[in-house]
Amino acid sequence: MDFNISADPPQVVEFRKEAAAWIAEQFKGHEHLRWSASWSTREDDDEYKFRRGLAEKLGAKGWLFPLMEKKYGGAELTIDHQMVLETELFKYGLNLSHTFYTLARIVAPVLVRWGTEEQKAEFLPAITKAQICVWQVLTEPHGGSDIANCQTKAIRDGDDYIVNGQKVMVGHHLPPDYLWTLVCTNPQGKRHENLAWLHIPANLPGITIQHMNLMMGIKNAVFFDNVRVPKKYLIGGENNGWKVASTHMELEHGGDGRIAVDPLIERVVEYCRNTHIDGKPIIEDPRVRDLVAEMTIELNTLRRFNQLIYWCRFAKKPHPYGGPQQRYFQRMLRLRNGERLQGIMGADALVQNLSVHEVIDFEYAVRTGPGQLHGGGTLDTDRLIFARRLGLGRPTKETAPETH
Amino acid sequence: MDLGLTEDQEMLKKVAADFVKAEVPAHQMTQWYKNKQVFRPEIIKKAADLGWLGMMLPEECGGAGLAPMDCAVVFEQLGHGPVPGPLFTSGILSAQMIFEACTDAQRKELLPALCSGKSIVIPAIADKSAYWGAEAVETRLSKTPRGYMVNGTKRFVFDADAATSFLCAARTEEGKVVFLLVDAKAPGVTITQHIGFMISMFEVRFNNVAVSTDNLLGSSGANWATLENALDKALPILSAYQVGATQEVFDITCEYTNSRVVFGQLIGRFQRVQDHCVDISICLDTARWATYEAIWRIEAGLECRAGVHEAKATASDGYYHGTNYAHMVWAGPGTDYSHPMMAHSVLAHSLYQYLGTPGHHKRLMVDALYPRA
Repeated sequence: MDFNISADPPQVVEFRKEAAAWIAEQFKGHEHLRWSASWSTREDDDEYKFRRGLAEKLGAKGWLFPLMEKKYGGAELTIDHQMVLETELFKYGLNLSHTFYTLARIVAPVLVRWGTEEQKAEFLPAITKAQICVWQVLTEPHGGSDIANCQTKAIRDGDDYIVNGQKVMVGHHLPPDYLWTLVCTNPQGKRHENLAWLHIPANLPGITIQHMNLMMGIKNAVFFDNVRVPKKYLIGGENNGWKVASTHMELEHGGDGRIAVDPLIERVVEYCRNTHIDGKPIIEDPRVRDLVAEMTIELNTLRRFNQLIYWCRFAKKPHPYGGPQQRYFQRMLRLRNGERLQGIMGADALVQNLSVHEVIDFEYAVRTGPGQLHGGGTLDTDRLIFARRLGLGRPTKETAPETH
Repeated sequence: MDLGLTEDQEMLKKVAADFVKAEVPAHQMTQWYKNKQVFRPEIIKKAADLGWLGMMLPEECGGAGLAPMDCAVVFEQLGHGPVPGPLFTSGILSAQMIFEACTDAQRKELLPALCSGKSIVIPAIADKSAYWGAEAVETRLSKTPRGYMVNGTKRFVFDADAATSFLCAARTEEGKVVFLLVDAKAPGVTITQHIGFMISMFEVRFNNVAVSTDNLLGSSGANWATLENALDKALPILSAYQVGATQEVFDITCEYTNSRVVFGQLIGRFQRVQDHCVDISICLDTARWATYEAIWRIEAGLECRAGVHEAKATASDGYYHGTNYAHMVWAGPGTDYSHPMMAHSVLAHSLYQYLGTPGHHKRLMVDALYPRA
């Protein structure tokens, strides 16, 4: 067994030097923006612009999707190259997944799995090169976790779909280029068989986007009012939306894996070393050390779950309950860590406008504990899927949808 | 990165799994645990024949010369039993301690007998149950004209009934902790089983027990740091055993949800019941991957102490809490001492305490990561 994520075989030794130097160059003058590890909805324009810019530069080199074919915007490199890029990026608190305010990491593999050759050629490069921002647009006002009960209608009219309806709690504070969404093609049709997946240009007439101010930050309501969407934007074919959704959700719900390390614990320890009470750093306080121990173990556990899923995904080994397990654990862990952070640093954990940039993330970490319990489906749906994959109370174990 | 087992490890896993099925069938194991007669010399003999005593020791010492992960694969399967007896206590912990502490001559004298099962050496470390560490060693070692005299009472000595000798921690007249071997049959040694919600735990009393100076490990009895080095190698193997035991609890519990019918349907259909299984699985996989990672760090020659403490903490926590979640699923039937769940329950509680609680190891983990000023 080998957990080493930086065991460079000879063919990537030079590549690591090249990648490290290149990333260092990009960060010159932006060092304060490191450590923005998680895909975030913080409304920080500097961070947003820097990360979008960095993503676009990575994309131009094919490095956002190093394994993908060049014609789709990849670099046709190996998994070892991908691991070099991941590990070099997380020296700056970033990683290839979920960090660049676009859902490329999910959308691209779904397009590879379900898109036609024409669609891949047309849509993939802009996504994989991070030239555009795609929002996942799934939740509806009355649907919640039950996304198959989709009320947004897309009724075929010649070579177009006419889309009407509303999605909520999606995106972030700056606008998208495309909306990646599930629609209902036949309200009278059988559940799961009356759905379609659309990749909708966000500038089509009839689309209105309104901010929603939520615990997790700015999200949006998207209104579709007789939006005419050409059929070339239909992904996966007629009435096949649920299968596309299944691949999408498997990737979204933990099934994509990660080898990046959450930098939270290091920053907590840094805070504890720099914060003195009665002349002593609080890292010496046994009560604080116990909380640090709990955080360390759970963050290590999450890292190992992510690493296992990543390995299974790229070594093509089945791990059917890995995704929902990771997702349920991650959500509960965030909630517990929110309380631990408050136990360690008191009210500092709730303050957003302290002068130290790093502290902002503590507030974000606390707020997103309860705030992220449900994004993309509640944690109860995670446990439900987990149980199905374990085969509890059913004759067979449910398999995971394909993610590669 | 490769998170799978090698072909050889898959083979070891199968051999160990077959051994457990053949030698420790659930109905028999349950009776042993129920009657608190878990030391089965015949099983230890067979295990010794397979090379499972002193597995990690080099061949010249009588061991199998296996890597820690190979050994963990076997112990994980033994945990499925859970196979009782001194395979860990004598075959891993004492073996490593003797190997770490002893001179070449002592190794050659002691270890081949330990590996063949002829001698069974049981660690008897702490006098106080409420703490794990050098501070809990109170047994006194006093000089006599012909050697030493040992006086003290060890609590919570795991597998003491199997001992031919004890690897005893004692405090010298100068207050230093040293380690020595004490013959289990020596005059003045009394072994009494602890009665209660635990298994295979004993009080071992040393009352004016005379020992020779040759019985000290190494030239001067080694020290607590020697034990810590031995524990670095041994604790992940105990963790692997607990992981296997938790896996067994998880497996039998999931199976039960697919056969037990109440309110007109399988209990596996109830989301509350599913939630308990989900929680066991998280206990299990938390421990499993912490254990594997710690072992990988050992094999890769990386700093491993924090990871070792993390493995012990999560494996003991995982077995304990995983078993408690399983009790929520099994309800009444799982509380019968004739049920396999009760063997796991008493063992989970015993191993939660054995060699330090999870809370203790979590603190040691933080001390290793962020040393105190």
